[in-house]
Amino acid sequence: MVDLAQNTIDGLMIGSSYGLLALGFTVIFGVMRRLNLSYGPSIMIGAYLGTFLYIQQGAGPLAVAGAVVVGSVLAGVYVERLCFAPMKAGAAIASMVSSFAIWMQLEQAAILVLPRHTYPFPPLSTALPLEFGPFLLRVDHLMMLACAVLLAFAVHGVLYRTRYGLGLRAIIGNPVAAHLVGIPVRRSVLIAFAGASAIGGVAGFLVLAVDQQVTPMFGMWATLKGLVAMMIGGLGSIPGALLGGLLLGVVEAQSQWYFGPQIRDLVAYLVLFAFLVMRPGGLLGEAPKVEIALPQGT
Amino acid sequence: MDFYLGLAQIIGVHTLLGLSAYCVLLTGQVSLAQAGFFAIGAYVAGMLTVLAGWSLVPALLISALVSGAVACAVGFPALRVKGLMLVVATTAFGEAVRLFFFNFTYQIQAGNLKLGPHGGEGFRQIRYFPENGWSTLDVVIFIWIVVALVMAALWWLDRSRAGAVLRAVGEDELAAQSSGINITAVKVSAMTIGGLIAGIGGGIFAHYTTHIEHIQFGVVLATFAIAYPILGGLSNVFGTLLAVIFIQGFLIEGLRFMGDWRNLLFGGLIVLAMNIRPRGLLDAGTTRALKRLFSSGKEPSGA
Repeated sequence: MVDLAQNTIDGLMIGSSYGLLALGFTVIFGVMRRLNLSYGPSIMIGAYLGTFLYIQQGAGPLAVAGAVVVGSVLAGVYVERLCFAPMKAGAAIASMVSSFAIWMQLEQAAILVLPRHTYPFPPLSTALPLEFGPFLLRVDHLMMLACAVLLAFAVHGVLYRTRYGLGLRAIIGNPVAAHLVGIPVRRSVLIAFAGASAIGGVAGFLVLAVDQQVTPMFGMWATLKGLVAMMIGGLGSIPGALLGGLLLGVVEAQSQWYFGPQIRDLVAYLVLFAFLVMRPGGLLGEAPKVEIALPQGT
Repeated sequence: MDFYLGLAQIIGVHTLLGLSAYCVLLTGQVSLAQAGFFAIGAYVAGMLTVLAGWSLVPALLISALVSGAVACAVGFPALRVKGLMLVVATTAFGEAVRLFFFNFTYQIQAGNLKLGPHGGEGFRQIRYFPENGWSTLDVVIFIWIVVALVMAALWWLDRSRAGAVLRAVGEDELAAQSSGINITAVKVSAMTIGGLIAGIGGGIFAHYTTHIEHIQFGVVLATFAIAYPILGGLSNVFGTLLAVIFIQGFLIEGLRFMGDWRNLLFGGLIVLAMNIRPRGLLDAGTTRALKRLFSSGKEPSGA
């Protein structure tokens, strides 16, 4: 019983990082209605910038965090300019393939700059875990959860309490009509993309600070976890993204404990598959109306 | 010479992989499960020739059937969802298959060797070709005969009523449904055909590389599978072949002299191609133009 509870706690903590990744993803997907496979790799570029400063200059955690966010945003804007801005409305699949190509490119760029397989990453907090009765809580995990909740509220606030958010929601509803009433569509979309990348950057920094190492594989990992958490939570739903991340974290932690690390991911994917098929809208999303439009074949 | 033969093998097998995604794409579905079917084909065919001592062609047929059956079984639940949901559901399935093989061990003792899949270490010693005295050239010829057969079958399918039905579902599901097409049956059939082709491709892949492991069948391979037909265009099967030659022959092998910088250019060139030709290298317009040029409708060799 204690194990079960401790696993749940650990899962919730790890899950909060998945939730953060999903939050950035859901903003991009909500605005663009397209899948950005380069989401994780852009964060990885930021992480490499951070670890580069850490190795070369001995930068502290805050400076590294800043570098990760800035790097993620720059890489994200690069992806948006190349894969999303130039593609016309019907060519969502072309955007997806392009973002896959850019993923390869970003990964290679990271390897060129720092060719070793793993690099150290500064820890966020080296304080001892807090004890509550039989349970242990890591301080950096708590910070992760706090960041996730705060950022979810912040995104919600921006979307529903500001003029910019109103414009963005108008674009989500109908981009042409939004353009006609004078909303700067392209600029708003670019800002949303940059903001989502910044959230991803924060998530990446927190995850890597807990792991204390970074590899080029982080990009793919982040894309997959963010995507999975987003789908479980429900497309375009901000609380859903967070909830989906937490649920994924708990499922992973429990299956790791009971079946071992090799089976963990297998269980996570099977749960996801069953979940998508039985409840396609996710936990909090609406019924799926979203489709990826295909280039017409004939 | 060996280099070109090796390249021909890679292009052939990847064409099969791309064609398996092509079938599914015709119905408007984006599936990232093709690498999973490919993996099933590879393991089944390898186990049949190595452990059961079958010869290659029946082993490939069985692996195609197994992959096709799995694709059919997965298709029914998975194709209830579409668009991004389907992308993620099929990714989940593909990764689950990969992780299954990561944990899958079934070995028998043969002399002083242990044969068969061994979890994370993969499946070594699939030595059907060397043991039966096939030269690399024989293998290449065999692969391309299979590729030609599959392409011919799909070409014929495209021109038959079934092909028209597939495309009708891909163009507009609602319209297809209102004209009395059972769209679930159509999508599941397309998925099954895709599974069959991926199974054959995977079986051949296992035999020419002689060593397979789970990591080869990940999301990257699945994305490549879907990228070929999209980059090549969906107007006919040659688009996929052209895209495989473009990516594997030119972008990956042709640019090898650029060393580490290759992947940077690789990404840039694909983005450029998708920007210039969002409907694929070989779209309907090009096909018509080429048909006018070669009035017999000969195979286009480049775009």
